[in-house]
Amino acid sequence: MNSPTLSTLVAVEDAAIGYGSPFLHGISLTVSSSDFLAIVGPNGGGKTTLLRTLLGVQPVLNGRRVQDAPLRIGYVPQRDHVDAFWPLTVAEVTIMGRYRLVARGRRPGARDREAVATALDRVGIADLAPRAFRTLSGGQRQRTLIARALASEPQLLALDEPTSGMDPPAELDAMDVLRDLHRAGGLAVVMVSHRLEAVANYASRLAFVDKDRQLFHVGSLESMVNPDALGELYGRRVTVRQENGRRFVYPEPGGER
Amino acid sequence: MNAWEGFLAARDIWQEPLVASLLAGALCGFLGIYVVLRRTVFVSAALTQLSTLGIIVALILEEAIGVEAEHAGVQLAVALAFSMAGALVLGLALHGRKLPGEASVGVIYVLAGALVVLGANRLVHAAHDLNAMVFGNAVAVPVSDLIVLAVVVVVCATLHALFAKELVFVSFDGETAAALGFDTRFWNGLLFLTLGLAIPVSARALGALPVFAFLTIPAAAALLLVGRLRPAFLVASIIGVVAATGGYLVSWFWQLPTGATMVTIAGLFVVVGLFFRRK
Repeated sequence: MNSPTLSTLVAVEDAAIGYGSPFLHGISLTVSSSDFLAIVGPNGGGKTTLLRTLLGVQPVLNGRRVQDAPLRIGYVPQRDHVDAFWPLTVAEVTIMGRYRLVARGRRPGARDREAVATALDRVGIADLAPRAFRTLSGGQRQRTLIARALASEPQLLALDEPTSGMDPPAELDAMDVLRDLHRAGGLAVVMVSHRLEAVANYASRLAFVDKDRQLFHVGSLESMVNPDALGELYGRRVTVRQENGRRFVYPEPGGER
Repeated sequence: MNAWEGFLAARDIWQEPLVASLLAGALCGFLGIYVVLRRTVFVSAALTQLSTLGIIVALILEEAIGVEAEHAGVQLAVALAFSMAGALVLGLALHGRKLPGEASVGVIYVLAGALVVLGANRLVHAAHDLNAMVFGNAVAVPVSDLIVLAVVVVVCATLHALFAKELVFVSFDGETAAALGFDTRFWNGLLFLTLGLAIPVSARALGALPVFAFLTIPAAAALLLVGRLRPAFLVASIIGVVAATGGYLVSWFWQLPTGATMVTIAGLFVVVGLFFRRK
């Protein structure tokens, strides 16, 4: 079991997760202040539910969720879940990340606008601030949503399928942004992805979730991204290759174990 | 006496309905921005039906068990109760996991509509009044209704001014708002409650069908014309005011059905919006 330590931001212990009735039991997972944790698994496997449970949006159905101190969370939803029809500028979308810090009945002030400018600058889209959100490319929208999360000055950045629907260059671009933010320090990253390859070169730990096979494993990248471990998780032979310092994961055709 | 002099001389007849049309047009136009952007146009239709059903239930109760419901205030209170209860139910149903939200809205809309028809069938003697309530005549608005409408406008304006950021955030991206700790059920409930308040009192002035139209058309026109959210709220309110008061005046001078005239004028703004679309 992962017990909370001084640097633990949030943890679930022996938790059951699900909506109404549990679909996965015995989950213990700790997120520390320097983590880059990727939650991977098949579509519909329970990844988002685990993330929502970890964040406290979804209650644990058994076991417990531990969070000793108030936690500033930045959240990036799936890009398709944000309705681009709304007539909002990039700056207006980004400042929503500050709303939790602004008292009810008050409007964001100069300090909040400054934080927005800083966040947009950190993800490299400061010049897009006055642009309409709906006119942006997929990659630019994703950067805007990451900037919104950063505007809340989070300790924990949580992302749900941040590269879903992106072409390979845009995916690498978005992941590079996340890696740079994490390396800059003071920010734990937890991201959900159904594409192992998208996170295999960035995360420091992996959690594999599949409710249909009642699987939950968590470990370091090295212990998880190898043919034996992945073969067990996917139920088929998997090749892991390294080229130019990057890992590539290939499920083998007809390779059922 | 020409038509204009005749109109001015009849001030006692039109002043309350005209002010009521102005207030209801502004209120529905403003709230319509949320209705359209949240893609919940049929929620407003269902709430409008529920508010009409409330009035019919009040009249049937009066007839069946002798409860004094002919008083306009009692009818309005029952319509408000139906509409606000419906708003809370629909607010929850939209996020239900057992049925798609639109299916729940559809069920409530057609069921309320069927019950309105069944109820109206029992109230043959009140058919003329019911017709005015549904299609809108805005001919006679008692001062008491006008006061209630004004109070609702002030309440809604205050709530929306105070909590604009919460209501916009939860409406635009409820998933992220929830992750950041916002009580999305509460804020969605508050938004739907303001709709549930606004619809019956506006329907008393404009009629049920025009209220549904005013929760959709001015906002649609504003969103075509304006590329920013805050100005869109203002423009939708102005279009609501112009269409409601303009429709009232046009219907007076040309002897046209009031509600239908208001809706047609509002529709003209959409045509204008299509020609001068935001970039």
